[in-house]
Amino acid sequence: MAQTPPAAGGKVSRRDFLKLMAAAGTVVTFTPFVDWGKFLPNPAGAQSEKQPAILPDGNQATTRDFPVNHSEVIIYPRSDDPVQNREPFRTWQFIRLPEELGGQKNDASAFRVYSMICLHLWCLWKYFPQDGRKRGECPCHGSMYDPLTGKAFAGPASLQGPPSNVLPKLDVEVDGQGKVWILPPVWSPDRNGVVGYGRFLNI
Amino acid sequence: MYAGVERTIFMGMKFTFPGRFVSPLGFLGMLTFVVFIILGITGALLMLWYEPILDRAWTSVENINDTIPYGFHIRNIHYHASNGMVMLALLHMYYQYFSGRYKIRNEILWVTGIILGVLTILEAFTGYDIIFSERAELAISIAASLTNSIPIMGPQMRDAFFGAGFHDFILRFYTFHVFMLPIALLGLMVVHFPRFLVFDVPMVMAVSGAMILTGGVFPVGLGLPFEPEVPPGITVPEWYLTGLYAFLRTMYDKFVTGVAWPGLFIGALLLIPFVDRYKKFSWKDRPIITAVGITSLAQIIVTTYWGFYIDPDRAKPLLERLVIDPIFFYLVMILLVPLSFGFTYMMIKLAKHAEANAKAQPKKAGKQSIEISQRWLYALFIVLIGFQVYLNISAYYAMLDGMKNYSLFVVGIMMLVFAGMFHLYRYGKTQAKAPPPKPTPPAPQAAPAAPRLAPAMPEQEKPLAAPSGQATAKPVEKPAVLPPQKTTSPPAGTKSAAAGPQENPDVKKP
Repeated sequence: MAQTPPAAGGKVSRRDFLKLMAAAGTVVTFTPFVDWGKFLPNPAGAQSEKQPAILPDGNQATTRDFPVNHSEVIIYPRSDDPVQNREPFRTWQFIRLPEELGGQKNDASAFRVYSMICLHLWCLWKYFPQDGRKRGECPCHGSMYDPLTGKAFAGPASLQGPPSNVLPKLDVEVDGQGKVWILPPVWSPDRNGVVGYGRFLNI
Repeated sequence: MYAGVERTIFMGMKFTFPGRFVSPLGFLGMLTFVVFIILGITGALLMLWYEPILDRAWTSVENINDTIPYGFHIRNIHYHASNGMVMLALLHMYYQYFSGRYKIRNEILWVTGIILGVLTILEAFTGYDIIFSERAELAISIAASLTNSIPIMGPQMRDAFFGAGFHDFILRFYTFHVFMLPIALLGLMVVHFPRFLVFDVPMVMAVSGAMILTGGVFPVGLGLPFEPEVPPGITVPEWYLTGLYAFLRTMYDKFVTGVAWPGLFIGALLLIPFVDRYKKFSWKDRPIITAVGITSLAQIIVTTYWGFYIDPDRAKPLLERLVIDPIFFYLVMILLVPLSFGFTYMMIKLAKHAEANAKAQPKKAGKQSIEISQRWLYALFIVLIGFQVYLNISAYYAMLDGMKNYSLFVVGIMMLVFAGMFHLYRYGKTQAKAPPPKPTPPAPQAAPAAPRLAPAMPEQEKPLAAPSGQATAKPVEKPAVLPPQKTTSPPAGTKSAAAGPQENPDVKKP
């Protein structure tokens, strides 16, 4: 609609200026709604305090009772709502390492907590303590995970680029009585990782 | 783009985007529809988090309100839009009633409109019940027992619609609320939509803004969760049902007060176009119908207020506080009839008198519209954009500080400012199109009374002779061709009429 050619000096026509302002006004008006997109993702999972590592039998894990080269499923973050506690994304493999990897020590270094969601296609893997295995294996496509680092070393998950080849993990702490606590995680690939997505292995 | 919709139903409708301010009374129906769309969007978003399960419904709403980011905003907009939709639908109905628009073969529109109104209230009712708070439990119980009280079919209907027990109630009300009733509403809307639709962007934004703003100022609470062991306190339904509640509180038979009276009211409304035999449209020329309308309005207002009113004296027993003396109540209802008729008589007298007066005196140059020069228009526009930026920042910081209601309030203000900006924009656009001011303004017009004689047939709007300047200009964008607007502002009319011939030489130059 260039009815009048712009005058010398690059002047904008009155009409176009008005349109420009209307466009600016519209953009400015609807900007706040961009942030409203936060309504969609689920904000659950934020914990600010350390939580006890509760085993399926209802007791807190301790360095004395928990056997070496053994794993259990724990729920984290644990909710008051039983339905939420059945959420696969809240299931974690709580592993005490085998002896050759330092599992006999009575401190936090003997324990590993990895998300049970396989990084390949989100099946639930688990730890196999048998001699010759001593690794996490996924029942769906055979991805295998190193219990020491959580890195996939075989199967389809190992072929995925970082961070999607290392399992998200939770940090633990052992107190004076040998009780195991889970420290509040930071759900980012650089720190504890993102469940179902992965973690950067910072060595 | 125009060719793209050539084969669609949209070609059957005529959308008008007014080029200047028009009274919103003429397109209250469109505003109702816009609010319905807002409800659809926010409702769909709420469905992502709401759980229609007996022991989870209230907590899931609490979760939306307190934890989900912007859940508070969306829920409040949804709630206030529901009230807005009922209110706009009511205003729409009464405007159509008093202006006699249901005549001239519009009976189908009227009848579907009444059904739409009833369904709208049912939709709102099922909506505020599925939170399953203490109040919702009482409301569902009342609805179920009223259905039960219908002779012969009642118990079967209750079984069919409500199922057995509250677990079924919640799930079924949810199904009604999110699927069945909206589908029915949409289907009826297809029939109800007239062929001429006005979509006034500033007014739509202003109404949305007003609703959002109200949500910020009066955020809706959660109520108390229903606990079977805890005896509930006194609760009152939403405002559109307090009238019915007042009737129920008179202690008369629940079928008569809770089903028959409202049924009678709805039935009477349905019959109105077939009863109204006046040949004219204006409320002034249909005294009996107008008086009946005023009576119904007066009774609605009084019963709505009465339903809300509960004796605040907590020392008195519940029965004494809640029950409305039926003799007093019905006496007032009856008394309102002659009062309303008298009021109508007075109003018509006054209006006719004023009309005669206006006719007798030569009209002064119509309404003086505010003229803003181009420069001031730009300045004002830039100020408004700056204000929007400021509001953006304050909304952002309000959110950071967890002041949810304040941020909602600010967003409402932004919508209102946008309405103002849009109005300025279209004003500027017509200014740019208009020729420079006429050199000799004619002395007080000789024949300003001519347009007044037209009996304002709303459907008979002829587009003015096209201001043939730009061939590209779509007919819908033309200013000053509005159906509901009687041509009461001669300056604007004459200006745009004069624009045609004057514009031509300019355009044809190149």
